[in-house]
Amino acid sequence: MSNLFQRAAPGDHGSPHVTELADLASESVIVSDEQGVIRYWNAASEVLYGWPAMAMLGRRVQTIGSLAHIGTDHFDALLREGRWEGVVRRRGLTGTDIVAAVRQIVRRDATGAFLDIVEFGQNAGSLSQAAYLRMDAELQSSLAASWELDTSPARPLLDAIAEHRRGGNTIDLHRHPDWVDGLLTATRILAVNNRAVRMFGAHAGYEQMIGQPIAAFWPAESRSLLAAMLESVASDRTRLETRKMVLSGALRNPVVKAWHSAEPSPPDTVFVTINGATSDERTTWELQASEDRYRRLIQYLPTALWQVDSRRAGEAFDELKANGVRDIAGHLARNPDLVEHAKDVVRVTDVNRDAVSLFRGSNAADLIKPVRYIFAAAPGLAERVMVAHFEGRRNLIEETRIRAFDGSIIDVLFTVTYPVPPEHLDNTFITMQDISERLNAEQQLRKLQSDFSHAGRIATLGELATSIAHEINQPLAAIVTNGETSLRWLARADQNTEKVAQLTSRIVSNARRASDIIHRIRGMAAKHEPEKRLIDLNEVAEEALLFIRHDIDSKSIVLSANFGADLPRVLGDRIQLQQVIINLLVNSVQAIAQSGGPTRRIDIETSIDGNGAVALSVIDDGPGIPTADLARVFDSFFSTKDAGLGIGLTICQSIITAHGGRIAGTNRPSGGAHFHFTVPVPGMTGADTGSARS
Amino acid sequence: MPARTPLSFKAPLVAVVDDDEAVREALSELLLVLGLACQTFDRVDAFMAEYVPDRFDCLITDVSMPGRSGLELQERLRELGSPMPVIIITADTSPSTRGRALSAGAFACLTKPVNDDVLFHHLQSALNRAGSSCEDERQDTPSDE
Repeated sequence: MSNLFQRAAPGDHGSPHVTELADLASESVIVSDEQGVIRYWNAASEVLYGWPAMAMLGRRVQTIGSLAHIGTDHFDALLREGRWEGVVRRRGLTGTDIVAAVRQIVRRDATGAFLDIVEFGQNAGSLSQAAYLRMDAELQSSLAASWELDTSPARPLLDAIAEHRRGGNTIDLHRHPDWVDGLLTATRILAVNNRAVRMFGAHAGYEQMIGQPIAAFWPAESRSLLAAMLESVASDRTRLETRKMVLSGALRNPVVKAWHSAEPSPPDTVFVTINGATSDERTTWELQASEDRYRRLIQYLPTALWQVDSRRAGEAFDELKANGVRDIAGHLARNPDLVEHAKDVVRVTDVNRDAVSLFRGSNAADLIKPVRYIFAAAPGLAERVMVAHFEGRRNLIEETRIRAFDGSIIDVLFTVTYPVPPEHLDNTFITMQDISERLNAEQQLRKLQSDFSHAGRIATLGELATSIAHEINQPLAAIVTNGETSLRWLARADQNTEKVAQLTSRIVSNARRASDIIHRIRGMAAKHEPEKRLIDLNEVAEEALLFIRHDIDSKSIVLSANFGADLPRVLGDRIQLQQVIINLLVNSVQAIAQSGGPTRRIDIETSIDGNGAVALSVIDDGPGIPTADLARVFDSFFSTKDAGLGIGLTICQSIITAHGGRIAGTNRPSGGAHFHFTVPVPGMTGADTGSARS
Repeated sequence: MPARTPLSFKAPLVAVVDDDEAVREALSELLLVLGLACQTFDRVDAFMAEYVPDRFDCLITDVSMPGRSGLELQERLRELGSPMPVIIITADTSPSTRGRALSAGAFACLTKPVNDDVLFHHLQSALNRAGSSCEDERQDTPSDE
């Protein structure tokens, strides 16, 4: 048995020369180089095959391969795998076939460089051809994953359970998940073989498994089974426990065996093996072959990467589909325990360095466990991952949050790539990109932009102070005059209450009007987080006119508004869009005022453009935009106005862009400027949206 | 608003030009309680369309309105040689507006919101200068329409 185990001893292969000890060995020992050329052939080999060492040194061992042997050449697999065990048929000196059970081991030095291949062989007896082939196939396909476990830390709990049993109680560990957890957490791994590392280590690697609790690696679905077996062999040290095991994917009909070590020291050592025919058409050799390259690749990928074995989920989904479940989201909503269960049975099988550092782990083993921890700070994400998997989607991409092991919450862009047949279904990849900096930067930008547009609004309000004062003064003047008129009526001998009532109601409505105007100005002046709502651009434009109408009047400019009927609503921030319209109007008013031309006219129009977006135009017959400035009219701090708002158009552009629209300024053939912006209608096709993410 | 029928003793008729309806209504109500007849217009052109010399005894006008401004109206009346006193009422407090109004011969330039006593005082002086008499408040109540 001990040959199955590589103990965690320093892997000192010593010198490449086989000592004379091998000359004395009763087992055939053959050493060959990387080409398979025989360098050493001991006495037992001469006895077994009949060929003397002199005849064999410098030849390849294949030269005595049996012509009748129809098995595949496993030499390349051996080089990749590092070990090979099996039955070989070779031609002896006398021409008879010799059947040998051999173990071949590739030896490497401390740096991993190839040293030699050592083969130990024994006569497998005179087997019939059929029996030999059967045995060979069995050896090839039977994968024994072997574990050596130390149950001594679990001794108090085992004793307690035994006490319980002596009290006449039957023990059903399925009903005591706390006992199962206790047993598996206390039981430590002393040694494992390569296959156990490959099948259960989830690429944690041999070194990361030794000394760890078996709980960290044993498949979730058969934990209570293992606990029951451990308890059973602990209570009777001569017992060999053999049970069928549930194990997803890797093996067909796996059988697990457990027995207590017969050696007195160390005490409480239990051996566990898992056997079964491999159900994966990939041989373990091929797996091993690409593994090193592959692991190096993902290890150094500049993104946090998880490899997840989602076969359990896939199988469960197939079952649900077979049972006629179509609406998986509804099904999961009705059975939230399914999601919780999946978080425990779907396991991470590998992670790379970036993943470890993203989660603030100390090594990969911290992350190689059931996927539950990935979803700790992302409510509903596990369900969405399952729904996308069930629906056969290829990817799922979401911005979400994770909770790192130090408790910090990190914003990440989370992607899942699902395997699709004929790919192997045990490799679902999850990547995460830390986007907290990006989100932070975006927030800063949004704040800057809103500060920027706020500053612009304040400046515009300053420019329009006279216009606004006039706008507010009208209702106030009416209020004062109405009030004074009422007092005059009341002071007369013939009080006219009807008249006073009429005047009073006019006072009230004018006061309302004044407060409404103040409210709008305050809205313009206030700092506010932009909030998008469905709005009617015509209403926004009409309100904008309130701020500037007097300014237009006082400069004797004729304003003509032509608002399109039945415009669809757009998603936008009322204040900001108003700001854009006011800015364009202010620019036109100032251009006209400065030019002092004979015709003084501004047209404001709304319509639906060819792409279905809502468009607004401000057309004036001022001097137009100087040709030299056309290209930079939206640049920061560029102004054609003497005391102008250099940043006005820049703000307009940033606001319209943030709304997913476009703004442009051109000169009219007949003179004057034409500024025009569009805002997309929600849900319209071909909307020029800035950042649509599905 | 239709012009009031002049009373037999020829109540002074005041023209009010302001683009804001609430202001026009308020002023005409005030003039009513002061015992003065008035006719209101919402823009300069509307007033000019009805203007004939000696029709109005006094003009009260705002400055900034769509179309032509109150100052332009004042200048036009001067060109036409109208002796009618003009009282400017405006929210615009800038010295330039005020200066332009007064130098163009405005009888008074008052800031909105205007005080009724101040307005009454100026109206009385203007009407006296124009040869009309402005009745005391405590005289007969003007008939209500």
